[in-house]
Amino acid sequence: MRFTIYQDSRQGGRDNNEDRTTYCYSRDALLMVIADGMGGHHHGEIAAQIAVQSLANAFQREARPQLDDPFRFLQKGMSNAHHAILDYAARHRLEDSPRTTCVACVIQDNVAYWAHAGDSRLFLMRNGRVIAQTKDHSRIRLLLEEGLITEAQAERHPDRNKIYSCLGSPATPEIDFSRKTPLEHGDIVLLCTDGLWGVVSGELMAVALKGANLLQAVPMLVAQAEVKGGAHGDNLSVVAVRWEDNYVEAASSAISTQTMPVGEVTTKLDEFGRNPSYKSDLSDDEIEAAIEEIRAAIDKYNPKK
Amino acid sequence: MAQQANHPLPGGHQLEEYTIERQLSLGGFSIVYLAHDPEGSQVAIKEYLPNSLALRAKGDVRPIISEEHLGAFRYGMKCFFEEGRALARLSHPNVIRVLNFFRANETVYMVMEYERGRTLQEFIHKHQGHVSERFIRGVFTRMLNGLREVHSHKLLHLDLKPSNIYLRGDNSPVLIDFGAARQTLASDQPMLKPMYTPGFASPEHYGNRKELGPWSDIYSVGASMYACLAGSAPQPADERLKKDTLTPAMVRWEGQFSDRLLEIIDWCLNLNHLYRPQSVFTLQKALVADIHPPHVRSGGWIGRFVDRFRSSPR
Repeated sequence: MRFTIYQDSRQGGRDNNEDRTTYCYSRDALLMVIADGMGGHHHGEIAAQIAVQSLANAFQREARPQLDDPFRFLQKGMSNAHHAILDYAARHRLEDSPRTTCVACVIQDNVAYWAHAGDSRLFLMRNGRVIAQTKDHSRIRLLLEEGLITEAQAERHPDRNKIYSCLGSPATPEIDFSRKTPLEHGDIVLLCTDGLWGVVSGELMAVALKGANLLQAVPMLVAQAEVKGGAHGDNLSVVAVRWEDNYVEAASSAISTQTMPVGEVTTKLDEFGRNPSYKSDLSDDEIEAAIEEIRAAIDKYNPKK
Repeated sequence: MAQQANHPLPGGHQLEEYTIERQLSLGGFSIVYLAHDPEGSQVAIKEYLPNSLALRAKGDVRPIISEEHLGAFRYGMKCFFEEGRALARLSHPNVIRVLNFFRANETVYMVMEYERGRTLQEFIHKHQGHVSERFIRGVFTRMLNGLREVHSHKLLHLDLKPSNIYLRGDNSPVLIDFGAARQTLASDQPMLKPMYTPGFASPEHYGNRKELGPWSDIYSVGASMYACLAGSAPQPADERLKKDTLTPAMVRWEGQFSDRLLEIIDWCLNLNHLYRPQSVFTLQKALVADIHPPHVRSGGWIGRFVDRFRSSPR
C-alpha cells in the first residue's frame, strides 16, 4: 500500500475539543476514524475517545496484516464502541450517557469500506469532484430528500444540528454501510466533522485538494475553515488520505507499508489528556500565591538576599 | 490575524526598583531587558509577553490582552511560573540565578543575574570550524556540573542547545532559559505542549514523552558538542528515526580530535536512550577521566580475549 495521510483537529471557538480522530495501518490495511462527541450531553469527548480507541484497538488485534471481513469489522467495532460507552456510563453512574457521532473507513486491497452514525461525513473525491459521500442521520437530511425544504433553508434551520443516530444513546444506533468501493490512483478519502463540512462544502474541498500535497493543503483548508467558523465556531477535525498505489516520485511524504512486518500496526492517536489549549482558570489569587512561592524559594536558596 | 511584534519598554523606564537600560532579546513568548537595580548592579529582566496573545503598542506600558485570549495568556503564565520555580530552587555557579520575581503591568517579570558574555551559539558562529578540543572539554565539563545540579533536583532542562549555554568573560558556562524545564515527578500537571529545538531535541521529545529522562538532556549535550565541531546543528532526531543520515563524529572528524571525544559525542547521540550515558555523572567521568564508553569496550573485550589466547602457553 502507498498513501499520503494527514489528520488535524482544531478547537475552533469552543472551550473544549470534543472531536477525536485516529488512523492506523498495518502492511495491508488502513483504518481511519473520526468521532464528534456531542456537546449537549456531558462528557461528549469521553464518548468520542472511547469510540476511536476501541476501533483502533480492534484494528491492532485483527489486522494481521489483513482484516478477514472489513464490513464485519466495522459493524462489530462500532457496535462494541457503542456498548463500551454505555458501560462507561453505567460504571460511573452517569444519569445521561455520553454520545458521539462516528465515521470509520477501512481500505484494503485498493477497496474502501466505510460506515457511519450521525453527521460526521466521509467524502470520496476523484479528479476534483466528490463522487460519493455519507448521508447524515439528521432530520434536515430527510426533509431535504423529501423536497420539503431547500438547501438554503437547511443551512439556517434551527434543527440542523439534530441527529437521530449516534453511539452511546440508549436507543440502538442506526449504522449505514457503504458499498465496496474500488479506489483509483490519486483518489482522496476525507473524513470530517460538521465543524469542517458546515463551513466548507465537500465540492469546494475536492477542488482545493485536487493535485495538491495533502500535508500542505489540508492544514490550510482547516485553518481557513477555522477562521470562517468565527469566534464561536465548532470544533473541526479531518483525516484525509490520498491513495497512491503507483510509485509517485514527488510524494516523499508517502508512507509505504511494504517493509512492515506482517504483525505490526502503526497507530497515530493522541493520548487522552487535557488539551494544552484548554482555557486556563488561573485566578488572581493563584497568581499571587505562585509569586509568593517563588519569592520564598529565592530567599531560601539565595543567602545573599 | 496580523502578527505584530511587541514594543519593548523604553530605556529609562522604572519597573519596581529596577531601571530598564535596553532590550537584550525578543522571543515569541518574552522580552529580555538589561536593567540595573538601585545599587547600580546590572540584571537581566525577563518579561512574560506572548506575541500572539498580548499586544503592546509603541509608547504604552500595559499590553492589551483581549477577553478571548485571557485564558490562554494565563495558561502561558503558568508555564512561566514553572520556569521561575525551577530556577529559584537552584543555586549553582553554572546555572543562571533568579534574584526576584514580581507582578506588574498585567503580566509577570523574572529578574536574573546578568554578566557580560556571549552564548555558545555566538561563539560557534564566530569560530566556525575552529573550536578546539580543550575548549569543548573545558566548557562542557563545567556546564555538566550545572546540569547535574538541575537533575539532582529532579528537574530536566529539556531545551539544552548552544544558544542556551551562556559563556562568561572567562568562558565559564552558565545554563540559561529554563522555559522548557519540567518537574519530572509532577505527573498530575496538565499536559503541556512539548517545547523543543530541532537538531538538539532527543527522540523522546518527539515520541514517547514518558521516556524523557536525564538521557534526553544528555542527547542534547551530545548534539551541542557535535554542533561545536560541525558549526551547525546535527540532523533532527525525528528525521534520524526515519532515515539516519547523520555522519558519526568518529567518521567525520577522525584524526582531527581525540578518538575519545568523538566516541563520547556518538555515545550521547545514540537514538536509543538506553545506549546513551544514563547520568550526567557517567558522561562527566568519561569527559574528564578519558575512559572508554562501554560500547567501545566490547571490541576491546574481544581484543583482550584474543590477546590472552595468543599469550597463553601452549
